Amino acid sequence: MVAGLGLRRSGRRNAFFFAGAAAIVLWSAGPFLWQLSTSFQLDRALVSPTPSLIPHPFILQHYLNIFSVKHFQFYVLNSCIVAAATTLLCLGLGAAAAYALARLKLRRRFGLLGLILSVSMFPQIAIVGPLYLLASSLGLLDTYLVLVIIYLALGLPLVIWVLFGYFQTIPEELDEAARIDGAGPLRILLLVIVPLSVPCLVTTGLIAFIAAWNEFMFALAMTSTIAHQTVPVGIANFTNLYYVPWGDIAAASVVVTLPLVLLVLFFQRRIIEGLTQGAVKE
Amino acid sequence: MSRVAAAGGAITRAPPAFAIIRTRRIDWPPLLLLLPTAISLGSVCVYPILGGLWLSLHNTMLATRENRFVGWLNYRTLAADPDFWSAWRHTLEFTAVSTLAETVIGLGMALLLVEWFHGRGLVRAAMLIPWAMPTVVTSKMFGWLFDGQNGLVNWMLRSLHLIGGNIDWYGSPNTALGTIVIADVWKTTPFMALLLLAGLQTIPGSLLEAARIDGAGAWQAFWRVRLPMLTPILLIAAMFRALDAFRIFDLVYVLTGGGPADSTEVLSTLTYKTLFSALEFGYGSALATAMFATEAAIALCFGILIAQSLRRQER
Amino acid sequence: MSKSDDMPRGAAERGPGAGSDSPGKMEAVPHDLTSRPRAGSGRRAFLGGVALGAAALGAARPARAADRTEISFASAKFFGKETVAQVVEMYNSSQGRVHVSYDELPPPSDSTAVHQLLVQQLARRNGSPDVFTQDVIWIAEFAGAGWALALDDEFGAEVRKDYFPGVGAACTWGGKLTALPWFIDSGMLYYRTDLLGAAKVPETWEELVKIAEAAQKSGGARFGFLWQGKQAEVLVCDLVSFITGNGGAILGPDGKTVLLDEEKTVAAVEFMRDTITGTKISPQDVLSWDEEPSRRPFTGGQAAFLRNWSYVYTIAQDPKVSSVVGKVGVAPLPHFAGGQSSACLGGYQYGVNASTKKREAALDFVHWMSSPATQLHFATELGLAPTRAAVFDEPALAKSQPFMQTLKPVFVGATPRPVTPKYAQVTLVLQSAVSRALAEGNVKQALSGAKERIATIVGS
Repeated sequence: MVAGLGLRRSGRRNAFFFAGAAAIVLWSAGPFLWQLSTSFQLDRALVSPTPSLIPHPFILQHYLNIFSVKHFQFYVLNSCIVAAATTLLCLGLGAAAAYALARLKLRRRFGLLGLILSVSMFPQIAIVGPLYLLASSLGLLDTYLVLVIIYLALGLPLVIWVLFGYFQTIPEELDEAARIDGAGPLRILLLVIVPLSVPCLVTTGLIAFIAAWNEFMFALAMTSTIAHQTVPVGIANFTNLYYVPWGDIAAASVVVTLPLVLLVLFFQRRIIEGLTQGAVKE
Repeated sequence: MSRVAAAGGAITRAPPAFAIIRTRRIDWPPLLLLLPTAISLGSVCVYPILGGLWLSLHNTMLATRENRFVGWLNYRTLAADPDFWSAWRHTLEFTAVSTLAETVIGLGMALLLVEWFHGRGLVRAAMLIPWAMPTVVTSKMFGWLFDGQNGLVNWMLRSLHLIGGNIDWYGSPNTALGTIVIADVWKTTPFMALLLLAGLQTIPGSLLEAARIDGAGAWQAFWRVRLPMLTPILLIAAMFRALDAFRIFDLVYVLTGGGPADSTEVLSTLTYKTLFSALEFGYGSALATAMFATEAAIALCFGILIAQSLRRQER
Repeated sequence: MSKSDDMPRGAAERGPGAGSDSPGKMEAVPHDLTSRPRAGSGRRAFLGGVALGAAALGAARPARAADRTEISFASAKFFGKETVAQVVEMYNSSQGRVHVSYDELPPPSDSTAVHQLLVQQLARRNGSPDVFTQDVIWIAEFAGAGWALALDDEFGAEVRKDYFPGVGAACTWGGKLTALPWFIDSGMLYYRTDLLGAAKVPETWEELVKIAEAAQKSGGARFGFLWQGKQAEVLVCDLVSFITGNGGAILGPDGKTVLLDEEKTVAAVEFMRDTITGTKISPQDVLSWDEEPSRRPFTGGQAAFLRNWSYVYTIAQDPKVSSVVGKVGVAPLPHFAGGQSSACLGGYQYGVNASTKKREAALDFVHWMSSPATQLHFATELGLAPTRAAVFDEPALAKSQPFMQTLKPVFVGATPRPVTPKYAQVTLVLQSAVSRALAEGNVKQALSGAKERIATIVGS
């Protein structure tokens, strides 16, 4: 809580940040490191009385297994396609809707926002069934499309609310100026609002992406072949009868988590910091 | 007041947005921009939700082929069903505790990570790991980590001499729900931290600078500048987290199945069992609708707070 | 499009063994499918996916094989060296009258999802899927709902004769045969041969407790006996074997009388609790453990005894996963003094959709799938144990699955869980009540409470 200004450039500040950063890394990455270590160990090491983070013996069998035997790369590809399409659509439709709402009269817009939110209030377990039948009668089962349509609807409320919160804070004169120059709403959105909101778009985009990437229940019901099944279903498919091949699962979770983390590392350097230089001067 | 720093020199005090709209004619229909969203949400959600409401007024039960309109009967049964109320309480407890913990921890993380220090990028990336890991894996992983006999958590606590004997995290009705809260907090705190971080980053440095010149310490700067500016996004993030936590399903289903002795039975697992194990579609839909109503109440509370905070900020 | 009416009914070639009931002719199985890309990976033939889309639509299907009757088959995902999809393709290429498109449901580890998807399709009563597979506990429910075709005319007394007795009973509802056995599994006792010492394999629970306590005292094992007490279906499986092993029952033979608070039943549940709180041969953790969490300490060498399904044996013999290779034996579960060993019956069965518009084709397919030769193929290539007792004596089985062959005596004693169309509701009450009894201790009261609720459910 003592973050920032008062402690600037003091030794205490450095110690404080070091401790805080170490705590975050330990808390967040600890279980992941355990998974990483597990992915290089034999499964029987899991119940040894003194757990060890250093794999002994060190094996790559689990990684070979998931790619050559279980064809994990297909699931990853499917997930990439579904999650990327969902993210782009979420941001596109969400930004348009949020912009419209941010410029509406207050009373009406909170009604609409509430309506949009209501989608997030119905238990998902209760809508899986009806949607399955609907998709089945439309011939949409086991397609990318059905997953994207569903994830889009599930992701939109959050994207709209968060973007709405940000657009509220963008000065209205910018719109006005562009409108006087003869720009239509779509052009104002694309040329004025969007460039100003990149950090927020990246954040909400990331949230939409990961939500689609990790969704399990709908993917399990709607897809039935490796041609369209996503990563979570692929991992669930590792289980044969009851047996959970833990080393393989650990390897798979490392394979799908690391790229996301690297992506975040890349994005937060290039975009967030670049754009907010003016805001947080250090 | 504008929070958009990146607008460069354009940071001026914005006039209240709706004052303009009230005085001028809107020359384009904003509803057109809402149309794609309306289609998307309508096609996916309206049909199942309305279908659920309709079904909840029937005694539809596939096994016995009953399917009659019974009016409010299911809701009357529900009001007298101790299992429902017990699950309802568990769910509310879970939602309140985990949302609060996630907000506080997430805010702490965001405040730390908004400051510049060596290796900040790496810490930011590391912070996101729990959220990026597939949920199907993390729920099973928490089964492992908190396993009462061979779990890593007990081993570490024993090694540090914090506990004498093993704690039976999931096997005891006293600790099971708390352990699930820990798992949920670990998994979803990054969501809060990420949104709050983005919010913090748009607070103009000039404001903090001004506070500093006024002699405010870091603590005062937080309460006087950052928190008020952050409130809307904080409330929005907390609302979504609360709505999501209220629908907790996977963690409970994988880790305890609702037990032991129903101590972790939440509304989602109860509804799921009623709908898809027992195939009582009518009563299950009533349960789902009750969840919906509770969530609507939660959302309404947050909605009022959010509207207030936005209004305060625009002033 | 349906050609069911004029389709040759003479059950000419049934099964890859060309119609003979002797499963000895496995050479006849066409193996051309093994050249399919990614064989055995669980990847389903892409064509199957296309056909599924069309089948789900119930609309016109692709014109290929226009002279064949098209039927759809939905099943949970099972795999070993081969997949179910490959076996279905074997059928498709073995004859020219029927073409089966296969709809793969989630794996049985997501059993509730499988149940949900099946129920949703069957409840539409539009004939799709024509043939499906079902967990043993859904049979009465599907039959009671009128979704499963009675098969008595097709498969008469033969079924009860050739199959394990428990399976035959489980497939019968209301005096009618509404399901046809596919593969069997059951609960069984795993023991550590090295910890047994001079003692013989326990036949009663009393003997087991003694050996387990001794193993714990001598330091040979941290845990005496591991079982599954998670508030889930597996708890009922464990429950059934304890109760029946004491001569008790949950439901009477009429399916209406609830016997849950009888002395023998209560005593059996008291014993379950006693393993945790009295003799302490089981850790309290079993209350949150299902199959895998209880399996791991055992294959990790920490326990003397384990109750589990047949899948554990292969894992126990795999040096990558197990520290007890070569030290594990399997036996029927113990019983109480005066009782009889009983194991909870598991496994999947075939069912024919009562609304199918292609009855003849569907029956032809089911005949083939349940034939001894196909059962042998499922056993050797997918590791699914046959439900026909005779198939266990096949030399081919002894060669590729020697362990499976030794399980025959265990399967003979497998007992179905309560057979009632309301099973799904009954099991939820049982899970909740028994979990409460085990965690809190008031066994008699918890079971009496459950008895009343179950009586309301099955009585109405």
